[in-house]
Amino acid sequence: MSFYKKFRLHKKDVHSPKEKNPEKKRVGFFKFSCCTGCGFELAYFQRSLKETLESFDFTFFRLASSAGSPEGPFDLALVEGAVTEPFQIVEIKKIRAASKVLYAVGSCAIVGGIPAIKALAPEMEVERAAYRERLYEMSSTRPHVIGDYVKVDGCIRGCPPGERDLEEALASVLIGKEPEFIEYSVCMECKMAGNACVLLEDGLPCMGPVTNAGCGALCPAHHRACYSCFGLMGQANVPALKGKFRKLGFTEEDIEKRFFTLFGALGETGQ
Amino acid sequence: MRIKTEYLGRVEGEAGVRFEIKNGRLAELKINIWEPPRFFEGMLVGRRYDEAPDIVARICGICPVSHMLTSIRAIEKAIWFEPGPETIAARKIMAYSQIASSHLVHLVMLALPDYEGKSSLMEMMSARDGAECGKNGETEKAKKTKKAKVKDLLKKFINVKEAFNGITQTFGGRALHPVSMVVGGFTSFPGEKEIDRLLSGLASAEDDLEDIAGLISELKPPRLETASELVCLSDDGGYAINGGRIVSDMGLDGTEEEYEELFEEKEASYSNAKKTRLRERGQIMTGALARVSLQSRWLGEKARKPAFSISLSSSSGKNPFNNIMAQAAELLHFWQECKKLLEASGAEKQKKQKFPGRPPAREGEGRALTEAPRGLLYHSYAIDRTGAIRKANIVTPTAHNYLAMEQDLRRLIEDNIDLPKERLKSLAGMLIRAYDPCFSCSVH
Repeated sequence: MSFYKKFRLHKKDVHSPKEKNPEKKRVGFFKFSCCTGCGFELAYFQRSLKETLESFDFTFFRLASSAGSPEGPFDLALVEGAVTEPFQIVEIKKIRAASKVLYAVGSCAIVGGIPAIKALAPEMEVERAAYRERLYEMSSTRPHVIGDYVKVDGCIRGCPPGERDLEEALASVLIGKEPEFIEYSVCMECKMAGNACVLLEDGLPCMGPVTNAGCGALCPAHHRACYSCFGLMGQANVPALKGKFRKLGFTEEDIEKRFFTLFGALGETGQ
Repeated sequence: MRIKTEYLGRVEGEAGVRFEIKNGRLAELKINIWEPPRFFEGMLVGRRYDEAPDIVARICGICPVSHMLTSIRAIEKAIWFEPGPETIAARKIMAYSQIASSHLVHLVMLALPDYEGKSSLMEMMSARDGAECGKNGETEKAKKTKKAKVKDLLKKFINVKEAFNGITQTFGGRALHPVSMVVGGFTSFPGEKEIDRLLSGLASAEDDLEDIAGLISELKPPRLETASELVCLSDDGGYAINGGRIVSDMGLDGTEEEYEELFEEKEASYSNAKKTRLRERGQIMTGALARVSLQSRWLGEKARKPAFSISLSSSSGKNPFNNIMAQAAELLHFWQECKKLLEASGAEKQKKQKFPGRPPAREGEGRALTEAPRGLLYHSYAIDRTGAIRKANIVTPTAHNYLAMEQDLRRLIEDNIDLPKERLKSLAGMLIRAYDPCFSCSVH
């Protein structure tokens, strides 16, 4: 399926490569409830840092600049974090309206990530472990993904986001092509890397078969079971893997709690 | 006159600062940390003990290794597990490379633009300066030299970053939210070839690192003297990072077991972060400046070179703006320590043992203190006999520094009360950044 069809993106929304505009593309980077790791991945950790800093006009990126306005307009908006506060709902709508293309970045924005663990218990039970006096004035809500509120044109998955997808997204905006994000399971990458299967060989509860790739099968390469930090991939056969885990001797509670709710507390689709 | 910054730039996370000057006096001042809470202490309840490091890593996008190390040690204490020497050494390498990395990004991307009068490193690099050219009275030629300098700095910055990130990545699987560092040890260790590659990376970054540290040490920070007690960890075996006694420049001496008796946390009505203070003593400052001041005897010779060392016996050790100088000194120190540890690790010819699996659950409680890039970090856990976490408590460096940040800012504004509004506003931002705060951590 083409990128355009999949995300209902209109071609006119994407810059044509023939456009004779030497102006740099305007990028806005926005943080919601998260660790700012995606921001640091973009501004520091990734290997194409120099090219990124030189190729774009970051007109709003608070982590990296004290100037700039969140009003836009943006050729590209990158949004990290989950929505957990009412004011963020207003903000995400404004960002969407001001942006030609909007990509959700990182597991918090795409599947809920770690902040979504809060959704597994009544809100107040979780909140009272951290606050006493302020408990009754907190407006924190059940965590939601960005796609619950606005149309998302693409997902740069991972915790932290995979470098390959990040580069693909940035390069696509530069040259005006459709980005192709990785949409297969960790097993594919693991096989390509020639790793021994930690699920079949070592009996480790590996989430690789149902997890979206992009990390390069990092955990199995380091002799540990994948813990699904990139979130479940579309069409994952969850019941089959749960059955496999049962055969390995894990209880139903273990399976739900330890494996499928660490980065998947909002359910299989993250919605 | 009201001065307000709603959303501070070049800091980790979300916070604002506002103050009011009435009749030439500072009336009210607040640092409002509006970073949304994620309630980690609540989310951890009921999760298994060996999941905690992967969860708490996500408190912070720049110091995940510190959160992992602190939780791992607290949990290992709770379940009565003692790691082997190889694991302890690898954890040191992880901590050192991460602190160096965090300092580097703070110094070059977050703090330096303040001293250049720019809003960001990108603006320093910016090619389109025609409009500004006339304004500042700079000639075209001077602009070009300046731009070449920034280009050169960026090159050096990237070279040094790759060297340090390479270390964290090789030992942890990835530099951000590492995967191989778990309760019980490391699921894999790098081979000899990889160690050699890391060592040559460090060697090729040496000159660039010295240039960056030199550049920082030449900056002229504004004057200010904090009333805070400087607090850090201390150890008889070397520069304390993962555990040790809690000491201060005012004679504090305690253990990590006593932490909760020594410190108290208070909620602030206008902020999502809590303010931490020493009981009956008050505000503290923790971080690179406190460490370099109080643990200077352990600093490597590279960091002691006169060009980089700041005279910390005098009042400069009490100027929070000098935190960036201390970070530069630590950058050099940790470069040297990483090199030492990697050489020792490469020299060990014995076969690395296969990870025996996570140690079993056991009922217990564990408390651990570490030095994160930004200062003192505390984690404590109570674990039941099934391995489920029953209680968790996390106090981060920026929560420790919060009171001092506000009090120092008061003093800074009072000392400079006659300055114009815009200048006061930028000074306020500069001081808060000097602390290298992490607001995501402070709220968590």
